[in-house]
Amino acid sequence: MIPHDIARGTGSRLRDAESQGLNATLAWSQLQLDAEAARVAEMQATAPLYGMPVAVKDNMVTTDLPTTCGSRILEGYLSPFESTATERLRAAGALIACKTNLDEFAMGSSTENSAFGRVKNPIDFDRVPGGSSGGSAALVAAGVVPAALGSETGGSVRQPASFCGVVGVKPTYGRVSRYGLVAFGSSLDCISVFGRTVADAAKVLGSISGHDPRDATSAPRAPLSGAVPHLDDLKGLRIGLPREYFPADLDAGVRAALDRTAATLQAHGAELCEVSLPHTKYAVPTYYIIAPAEAASNLARYDGVRYGLRKLEHGEGVGALYQQTRGAGFGPEVRRRILIGTYVLSAGYYDAYYRKAQAVRALLAADFRNAFAGGVDLLLTPTTPSPAFKAGEKADDPVAMYYSDIFVCGISLAGLPALSVPVGRSEGLPVGAQLIAPEFEEDRMLAVAQVLERALDGAAEVR
Amino acid sequence: MTAIGRNEVLHVARLAALEVPDAELPQLVEQMQRIVAMVDQLAEVEVAGAPPFLAGPAKAELRADVLAPEPLAKPPATFAPGFAGGFFAVPRHAAMEEE
Amino acid sequence: MTWECVIGLEVHVQLATRTKMFCAQANAFGHEPNSLIDPYTLGLPGALPVPNAEAVKLGTRAALALGCKVHPVSIFARKHYFYPDLPKGYQISQFEEPLATGGQVWIESPERGRISIGVTRLHLEEDAGKSLHDRLPGRTAVDLNRAGVPLAEIVSEPDLRSPAEARAYLTLLRQLLVYAGVSDCSMEKGTLRVDANISIRRLGETKLGTKTEVKNLNSFANVEKALEVELVRQVGVMESGGTIRQVTLLFNAGTGTTREMRSKEGSNDYRYFPDPDLPPLVLEPAWIEEQRASLPELPDAKRERFTSQFGLPAYHAATLCAERPVADYFEGTVEAGAEPKAAADWILETVLTDYNESGAFPVAPERLAALTALVKDGTVSKQAAKQVYGELAATLESPRGVAERLGVVQVSDTGALEGWVDEVLAAHTAEVARYKGGDAKLIGFFVGQVMKKSKGKADPKAVQPILQAKLG
Repeated sequence: MIPHDIARGTGSRLRDAESQGLNATLAWSQLQLDAEAARVAEMQATAPLYGMPVAVKDNMVTTDLPTTCGSRILEGYLSPFESTATERLRAAGALIACKTNLDEFAMGSSTENSAFGRVKNPIDFDRVPGGSSGGSAALVAAGVVPAALGSETGGSVRQPASFCGVVGVKPTYGRVSRYGLVAFGSSLDCISVFGRTVADAAKVLGSISGHDPRDATSAPRAPLSGAVPHLDDLKGLRIGLPREYFPADLDAGVRAALDRTAATLQAHGAELCEVSLPHTKYAVPTYYIIAPAEAASNLARYDGVRYGLRKLEHGEGVGALYQQTRGAGFGPEVRRRILIGTYVLSAGYYDAYYRKAQAVRALLAADFRNAFAGGVDLLLTPTTPSPAFKAGEKADDPVAMYYSDIFVCGISLAGLPALSVPVGRSEGLPVGAQLIAPEFEEDRMLAVAQVLERALDGAAEVR
Repeated sequence: MTAIGRNEVLHVARLAALEVPDAELPQLVEQMQRIVAMVDQLAEVEVAGAPPFLAGPAKAELRADVLAPEPLAKPPATFAPGFAGGFFAVPRHAAMEEE
Repeated sequence: MTWECVIGLEVHVQLATRTKMFCAQANAFGHEPNSLIDPYTLGLPGALPVPNAEAVKLGTRAALALGCKVHPVSIFARKHYFYPDLPKGYQISQFEEPLATGGQVWIESPERGRISIGVTRLHLEEDAGKSLHDRLPGRTAVDLNRAGVPLAEIVSEPDLRSPAEARAYLTLLRQLLVYAGVSDCSMEKGTLRVDANISIRRLGETKLGTKTEVKNLNSFANVEKALEVELVRQVGVMESGGTIRQVTLLFNAGTGTTREMRSKEGSNDYRYFPDPDLPPLVLEPAWIEEQRASLPELPDAKRERFTSQFGLPAYHAATLCAERPVADYFEGTVEAGAEPKAAADWILETVLTDYNESGAFPVAPERLAALTALVKDGTVSKQAAKQVYGELAATLESPRGVAERLGVVQVSDTGALEGWVDEVLAAHTAEVARYKGGDAKLIGFFVGQVMKKSKGKADPKAVQPILQAKLG
């Protein structure tokens, strides 16, 4: 298909998704798609992503489409500079298809926290697609685009990938440049990829990865190849199952899906064994100190002075401007996190909270290192404790919402690469299995994920 | 770890320049209390000797002192909410005139 | 009751780099407002900091010039507060692990002589923009050109014991940092800024009193003045039985008084934490050593050397070493053949006036050296030489050429001198007789007459022996 037709087809599917009420997109236009197509048409068809329409989570800045981060405080904001990731996508021949809806400033696990309405799970509209990258996950699941960029701070691509039945790949921290990614938790943020298939996700990841001197935390490494190594079997591969990720009260559907996955891996020759990650139960509390602290700091710049919303309705002076702009511009979850983050950094609390959390984080990271050093090549766990929950189910209980990240946020804290691959359905709802690799060993987990993808019907009922 | 109450929440909101309407305060305090109670679990972890975690590279790569500013596709006048006479303009507050 | 005054100074110097601390936009002064901006300077969503290698180098060299220990590992930290000219809502600075600590400098205290002042720390940070309160009616105008410029913050130990010592410390600090080439340290241009902390205590007391902070100081003289004013105020409060409140005061140079800043609620909680966008700043010990070894000779060492190597009196050496260009000019002149004392005299008496006015040396060291040689060998008198010097700035002619053109070349030719001596002695026989009768002072009269006869051209040094020979 020529780029022009791809642009038209994508536009038509985006229009359909909109009219269905998916609410997955925040910005797109046929004009912009056509412009992308014209640009790509000038390129060599051998470009790695030639003609691939890729949706982009609306927290990566683009100069041709607004970036709102799902927030009123940036409503209508058109960035005067481009993020490295989208720049590299375009250079690889992709068409940026649209900006996708997200939990405001990437804070959430259900994409119910957007100022512009919740995103629906294409499998079941009454349920959440997961978050914070729910819009990107939904578009890939709905077949609107083959791949999409999301971002992870505490699991925000793997978790929605599991809820929506698509592949979600988080690379090692530093693998993809954060330049242009609107910062939430700077020591955790990773641009990550959704794909209909492992191959598509890997291809996109290859194009956007690699050192960027504009990001001082960018790993000094060459880009990933974008190809998934082919494995005929898994003989010689040792896969660890951390016991803390298989609690007795694990959802029956999730357990069944993971049992099926484990059996498939064994059937291919992999050796499975139990391992322990003893500090697992501290992952959520540790995350909910570090991420909000960094977020409170990163969001201090939204003050109505240089860009974005400005609001001053009562009182006078710049102090009132800040208070009202930020009070009105940020939604309740963002405000909660800013307050918690400010609290744990404040005088008298810094040592007990933030400093302590960074030390516990080191212990969590050591747990993973020790497990790998003990002789396993990968870890296998459920991605989420249950399939997608209903919209509104956890809205009043922030802590319950936080615990839906229990199997993904420890990996984020350790900076490791991990992915979720669909391994079955439980009562019609997708279930994902998570593979975790040692740092910078994305290729190994992609290869094994592809074996699972080929061997399993990710849409088959497991119960 | 002390309990977080109304005064602490208001103090933190002031530090964070966040206006909290009175009507929202009770529920916010309750939610904050639950979150703080959850993160307080870390008090029981023994961390003696554990160095802080370093997420990225071990050392900063420095930039050569060469003029090469990242260009802006559009000037601030096009996106700044208050731009006048070439300046970012904000309402003046008496206490600010002191430096 | 005798009170002891305790002063500590916090000095911010802008480092002389081409670009800002964390982005590649220009570090420059005097441009159109908001023209030296980029995504990072504006604090746009998605922008990230990347540290400037030259700022790190200059900060390191500054720290070494102040005798500090430079730490191989230091950490950038975020310092949070809300202000319109602070684009990110935080400043990237250093907190728990700064670039350098534990330095020491030696100052000449008017009260205590040569004393050492501790430098607690030197750390790197970025500057904020400028808020102008009277540019737009009813509003504050923010210019972000300065936002992000590299700063070194230098904190002294509270070792200063008088406002005069504070001024001496600042003078020395500026001298060292300009010598080291890290900043031009100009309070007028804003490349050096000072905040002062002052407290008092009873003489003999070891505990520190409550300190106040004094800001808005725009010259070293005003630092001294403001501290004098605040010292008097604090003594007044304590002597009337009051207590000092920990406040910030602004100095008004016009009225010469301080006033309390409208207090912000409580002291600032800056919520410092290590900046997660920046890995640790790691410096190789060998590189740090290389910076130390390649520092220019600093004023104290140069002063020492000038007194021992060139035999100059301490006071002269100190004046010559006050600024590196002057010291270099002196050495250039000596290297070109001038005698150290002559070169020193010329610079102190004549050249420095021009330099202090214009910042330049109108006459190249080699030409000054040639001029001193002419004086030494009697070709011109010292007085005539000053006339020649005045011309040298406007011409490429050699000093000898100028002297000849001006007609001030002294005559030392024995034949001519003898001729004039003979004429003088013949015309003043009465004085000759008195001289021969024991009035030795008349030799001066005769020399004067020879000078008159020769229209000032005779070399008096050569005339005297000839007179004495002829008079017997």
